[in-house]
Amino acid sequence: MPAKAFLPQRHGVHRDNGNLFSMCILCLCGKLFWQLRAWLAAMSRKTETMRFLIYRYNPDEGKPPRMQEYRLDGFDSGDKLLDALLRIKAELDPTLSFRRSCGEGVCGADSLNINGRNGLACITPLNELGETVEIRPLPGRPVIRDLVVDMEQFYHQYRAVKPWLTVHDPEPETEYLQTPEQRDQLDGLYECILCGCCSTACPSFWWNPDKFRGPAALLQAWRFLADSRDQATGDRLAELEGPYHLFRCHSIMNCVDVCPKGLNPTQAIGNIKKLMLKHHV
Amino acid sequence: MNTHTDRPVFLDLRKIRWPVMAFVSGLHRASGVLMVLLLPVLVYLFELSLRNEQGFQAVIDLMQSMPARVLGVLLVWLLAHHFFAGIRFLLLDVDLGMEKSEVRKTAWMVHAAAIIATLLVVGGML
Repeated sequence: MPAKAFLPQRHGVHRDNGNLFSMCILCLCGKLFWQLRAWLAAMSRKTETMRFLIYRYNPDEGKPPRMQEYRLDGFDSGDKLLDALLRIKAELDPTLSFRRSCGEGVCGADSLNINGRNGLACITPLNELGETVEIRPLPGRPVIRDLVVDMEQFYHQYRAVKPWLTVHDPEPETEYLQTPEQRDQLDGLYECILCGCCSTACPSFWWNPDKFRGPAALLQAWRFLADSRDQATGDRLAELEGPYHLFRCHSIMNCVDVCPKGLNPTQAIGNIKKLMLKHHV
Repeated sequence: MNTHTDRPVFLDLRKIRWPVMAFVSGLHRASGVLMVLLLPVLVYLFELSLRNEQGFQAVIDLMQSMPARVLGVLLVWLLAHHFFAGIRFLLLDVDLGMEKSEVRKTAWMVHAAAIIATLLVVGGML
C-alpha cells in the first residue's frame, strides 16, 4: 500500500508533493520510533547488581562441592540466565563449566536447577529471578564438573523404550501414510527436546533411576504407542509391565511443572496405563 | 554401564523447590501411612470404651485432655486431606484436571477443602 494512502487527500496539492510530504512524515515517525525504543531500552537496563551462587566441583581438586558467589551488573532487560553464565565465564571466571549449545530452548543442553527449580538457562529471563540466583546441576545426576552432569542413565532409559517406529508389514514403496487426525495424536509428544528437566525433577527417578523409565522416556514410549504407523504395541506394553518401569509414577506432576516445552508426561503415562488395561481386557 | 561412583550428586531436598502438587501427593501418602499405623490404637480405645463403664469413662477422660484434643484435630485434618487428595487422584486417573493450568488449582483446592472440613468438624464438636 503506498504511504500516501495514510494521509487525507487535499484538494489543490500536487500529487507528487503529497507523496513527498507523507514520506517525510513517515521518515520522521520512523526516526522517532527508533529513538524511543533506544530510550526505553536504556531506561529498562538493569543497573542493580545481581548475585549468583553457583555450585562448583572440580574432580581434580579432590574437594567436596561448594557454592561460589559471583556479582555482576549491567544486564539488559531481555537478558537470559545463559547470558549471565556466559558473562561470568568471560569476565570473572573462565574455569566455570556448563553445557550450552543453541541458546534458544531447542537443543536442551543448558538444563539446570535454577533457584530450586529445573529449567533451561537460555530461556529463563533474568528479571524473573530476583536479586540472588542459586544455580545447581540437575538433581540426582552424578556431577562431572560444576554444572555438567552425567546423563547416561537418562539416555539408557530413553533407549530402553525403543524410540523408533517398528513396522512388521513390508515397507511401502513410497511412504507411510497418516491421516491428519492420526498425525494430531503426536502433538504434545514429538516436541520433547530431551533436556532432562522432567526426569531429574521426579522423586521416583531420583530413588530408582536404574529401574523407573522416568517421565521423558515414558513420554516417548507413548509417542510411539500413539503412532498409527507403529506395529509393536504389544511388545512396548509388555516391556513396561511390572512395578518399576512405568508404575513408579504417582502423578505428583513435578515433570509437568518444570517442562520448558509445556509438555505433559503425566498425561502420557496415564494414557499408557489405560492402553495397558484395554490391552489386557 | 560405565558409572563413576565417586562423583558427587546434588540432591539436597531443602534446596529443591516443591510445587504444591508434590505437597498434596506427599501428604496423601504420609496421612495414609499415619492413619494405618494409628488404627490399632483407635481399635484398642474403642474396645476399652465398650468393655465396661470404667473403661468408657477412662476413654472419655483421655479424649478430653488437651494433647488428645490437639491430636484429634490433627487426625481429622489428615483424614479430610487424605479424602480430598484421594478424590483428586481418582479424577486425574480419568483425565479430569490433567492440564498444567488446572493441576495447581486443584492441589490448592485440596488444601483449602481439608482445612474447611476440619474447621466444620471441630466447630460442630465444640
